[in-house]
Amino acid sequence: MLPISIRGVSRRFGETLALDRMDLEVAAGEFVALVGPSGCGKTTLLRIVADLESPSSGEVRIGPQPAGTARGQRLLGLVSQRPAVLPWKRAIDDVVFTQRIARRAGFPAGDLLREFGLGGHEGKRPHHLSGGMLQRVNIASALAHDPPVLLMDEPFSALDEMKREELGEWLGQELARRPKTVLFVTHHIDEAVLLADRVLVFSPAPGRVLELASVPATRPRGPDFRRHPVFVETTAHIRRLLFRPAGVGGEAPG
Amino acid sequence: MTRAVGRALVQVAMPVVSILGLWYLAILTTGLPAFVIPRPERVFQALVADRGLITHHLIETLKAAAVGYVLANVVGIGLAVLLVALPVARQLVMPAAITLRNVPYVALVTVLSLALGDTLGSKVAIVVLAGFFPVMVNTYRGLLAADPVVLDRMRVLSASPLEIFLHVRLPYALPFIVSAQEITGSGSIIVAIAAEWMISGSGLGYVINRAMQQYRGDQVYAVALLAALLSFLVYSAVHVMGRRLDWQSAARDRA
Repeated sequence: MLPISIRGVSRRFGETLALDRMDLEVAAGEFVALVGPSGCGKTTLLRIVADLESPSSGEVRIGPQPAGTARGQRLLGLVSQRPAVLPWKRAIDDVVFTQRIARRAGFPAGDLLREFGLGGHEGKRPHHLSGGMLQRVNIASALAHDPPVLLMDEPFSALDEMKREELGEWLGQELARRPKTVLFVTHHIDEAVLLADRVLVFSPAPGRVLELASVPATRPRGPDFRRHPVFVETTAHIRRLLFRPAGVGGEAPG
Repeated sequence: MTRAVGRALVQVAMPVVSILGLWYLAILTTGLPAFVIPRPERVFQALVADRGLITHHLIETLKAAAVGYVLANVVGIGLAVLLVALPVARQLVMPAAITLRNVPYVALVTVLSLALGDTLGSKVAIVVLAGFFPVMVNTYRGLLAADPVVLDRMRVLSASPLEIFLHVRLPYALPFIVSAQEITGSGSIIVAIAAEWMISGSGLGYVINRAMQQYRGDQVYAVALLAALLSFLVYSAVHVMGRRLDWQSAARDRA
């Protein structure tokens, strides 16, 4: 596990400012969720951390090195909303493929899939898997080389509500077994609070830190946590921040 | 099982019956002379009687078509890879390729026959010129059809450009390359025959040309029938092979 340090990161697309001087320190093994309105730059920030995009200014460090070096050393795992599995590969081959490209052995592919509840489905190709199973394969493939840092971009948003909640809880359990430093983009406040140690609330575009809310409860958290006062209060608080009418206190503090 | 065989027989018999029916109908209604529309039985007789001559020229045609087909793929896929690897090359290659595509083939054939004479080389060159473009365009599209999400995955894993090409771009392009083969494969035979008809003293095209001058309608039809059959066989073979190679339709079949 490695810490992530985001310092003064801004990103412009032409004239538009997408991210405005973002600062965030993520401790090793910490889970930080990024929430905010559409187009606030949370995915852009994730892509900058993944070194898929460059910041216009500022820098990202993963452990002691810049994000680019960390990517070169295959220290990152990326989970996209749409599964990044290869359509012609069996589930098990897809997991092995990550290890081959990353040149890191990581977890035994068969064990990983079985622990992910995919026992008996290892030989299936993507079109024979349900959306939920496919996303599990996708996560297994992203984790296959055992990267210390996991970057997740709305991994469950394409699933129906029940599957989304189920997989959210499942991910919490899995991360307890395989601790990672996690950045998790979502627009579901409940999902963020269920999973994260801290929730970074974005302002509307250009993205700034509106608030960094802590979720003071141990992880992993089961379905009961949804009735816990910490969950109820934190979600309500974030909801208030996000649904505040435009122009009223719209400026980011600090 | 027997029902399946019966259905297959019907599927083969129906087109034959309909083609022969139309053929006789044309003879009866148009009243055209036999050297314009010979009767089917005369055509089959010619096919048998002239089989030596036809086989000799058929081999010539197949040589030109096969070599041209392979080279069209080498050139087409090669250029497509170049265009994807080196986007600057687009400005260089595309205008030339599109110009070649739009110059009337008759002019190209004339120039090539003047340059190379009546050789296998000139026929092959024509087949390549006619066939590389669909391969190039389709392959290029296919190479760009790779899922951006998968490309991100590869970049996060710090994959090399060669790994991205071999493991992602090429498999994504495969269905596109296969569909180009259906055009270029059967087209190669037709183009080779057309080129022979215009400039050559050998091959099925030449046989048609000579038979025409000798008012041998039966021979023209015999060769045409043979050529159509060949072209259809190539198309079907490519199609069947393509379905096996193509992960998209293979996936649909298994689903």
